Amino acid sequence: MNLVFGKYVPLNSVLHRVDPRSKIIALFVLLVAIFVPDSWWAYLALSLFCILLCALSKISAKTVLKTFKPLIFMMVFLLVINCLSIKTGDVLAEAFGFAVYSDAVFNTLKTVVRLLLMIIITTVLTATTKPLDLTLGIEYLLKPLRVVKFPVHEMAMMISIALRFIPTIIEETMRIMNAQKSRGVDFEEGSLKEKINAILSLIVPLFSVAFERAYELADAMEARGYVPGNARTRYKELKFGFIDAVYMLSAIAILAFSIFTKIYL
Amino acid sequence: MAITFKSLSYIYDKGTPFAHVALDKIDLSLEEGKVTALIGETGSGKSTLVEHLNALLLPSEGELEILDYKMVAGHKTKGLKMLRKKVGLVFQFSEYQLFEETILKDVAFGPMNFGVTPEEAQKKAVKALKLVGISEDLFNNSPLDLSGGQKRRVAIAGILAIEPDIIVLDEPTAGLDPKGAQDIISLFMKINRQYGKTIIIVSHDNDMVYNYADEVVLMSKGHVVTKKETVEFFDDDALLDEYGILRPQIVMFKKMLKDIGFKLKGENRTLEDLSKTIVKEVRR
Repeated sequence: MNLVFGKYVPLNSVLHRVDPRSKIIALFVLLVAIFVPDSWWAYLALSLFCILLCALSKISAKTVLKTFKPLIFMMVFLLVINCLSIKTGDVLAEAFGFAVYSDAVFNTLKTVVRLLLMIIITTVLTATTKPLDLTLGIEYLLKPLRVVKFPVHEMAMMISIALRFIPTIIEETMRIMNAQKSRGVDFEEGSLKEKINAILSLIVPLFSVAFERAYELADAMEARGYVPGNARTRYKELKFGFIDAVYMLSAIAILAFSIFTKIYL
Repeated sequence: MAITFKSLSYIYDKGTPFAHVALDKIDLSLEEGKVTALIGETGSGKSTLVEHLNALLLPSEGELEILDYKMVAGHKTKGLKMLRKKVGLVFQFSEYQLFEETILKDVAFGPMNFGVTPEEAQKKAVKALKLVGISEDLFNNSPLDLSGGQKRRVAIAGILAIEPDIIVLDEPTAGLDPKGAQDIISLFMKINRQYGKTIIIVSHDNDMVYNYADEVVLMSKGHVVTKKETVEFFDDDALLDEYGILRPQIVMFKKMLKDIGFKLKGENRTLEDLSKTIVKEVRR
């Protein structure tokens, strides 16, 4: 699996130890901070902050760069569209009666920087937080919604079960794929009809396995006395500590700076 | 030699923090027409090794020769699909690969993928299903409605219908009742004796291994520890103790007989052979 985006990377860094609630709040604060400003000063500050986050999380630069790869096509596409549609600012280059304006380039650049920053901060969150901690964090943060009878706990349980089963289902998919490859199924080549058949040979068993697993899990949960909505204690209690506060406050400080540049620069 | 591994290594997720060496410089050759048992604790690399036999995994380092095919790390080998026709792989819990509407269609699926005409594939499917003992009145039922043991048989028939020269089985009897397990093993022995097919079997059932395998390959932590004739392997007390391998019941029984001074002639690998020898000895 070459998927880096959204994958947890088991390292031991300061960021890995920060409370998931703090990280989730910081993520939203930073997302707003990325979209508010126009000034390059704000983006410089944000970029420096992101680089600091990457360094703190001990994720290698290579890993981060890998997440950018799928975006290259989109960036080029965006640049072309912007060059064709935006006709303000200074003329940067002219050829065959067609002019490229500075605003087009700057606009594209800004969008690209925003996207890259967004990717970095979400990658930092998902790479440093175990999926289950992430759901736990979401559950805590959504707790106030219980007032309006929103089933927060059940939702969180569903998310954690779904997350827990992603690797299992991937493994199962690989296994069935291998079994069908052994029977001569070619998942890469072949005519459309062959391809449909190949996919069918994968999906039908996968569904049957998934349903079987779901029934088994439901039985196992019931056998251990799980009742949806009942009060439960937790093995792992989240504690909001000093670093968590520092992390959240630094995100808020960045947001404040972004708003400041928007108003005064 | 049907299969030759030359200092083959396999590393999962190479170049990531998840990198894990599953096979470490394997040197091994397996002969044609034999029944080879692959044993070793969980995580010793048996399944990874087996997946190489079918080119589902390609070597990270070193090389692998199977019949006329040669796979070298870092080089692309052509015709891997036809290799899969020659090496049939029956996976652990193979019943999960069934998907067609009818049993017959499912078994014919393999041969058809390898370019056999539908009529021919159907013939092969019928033959394979009869071989594994699925009765004809079930042929048009859905494979998903069968019992676990029957599903396993149908899945195995799906591989046999491809008519491979080498059949690789990854714990074919896991989760089956003793009778079902015995039937499946007898079936493969029959295929080995009658059609001379090479059989490689991954197993935790040492009694079964002792009864049927010609050779035993012991794996541990990604290495091949040894390859020996079955009887010789289970006579090597030092080796068995070092790797904590359970002795087959017959081996223990023979040892007890020997300890009380009972003399046994011949190999006596199955319960039937042993009881015959004992009866003969007692009568004398």
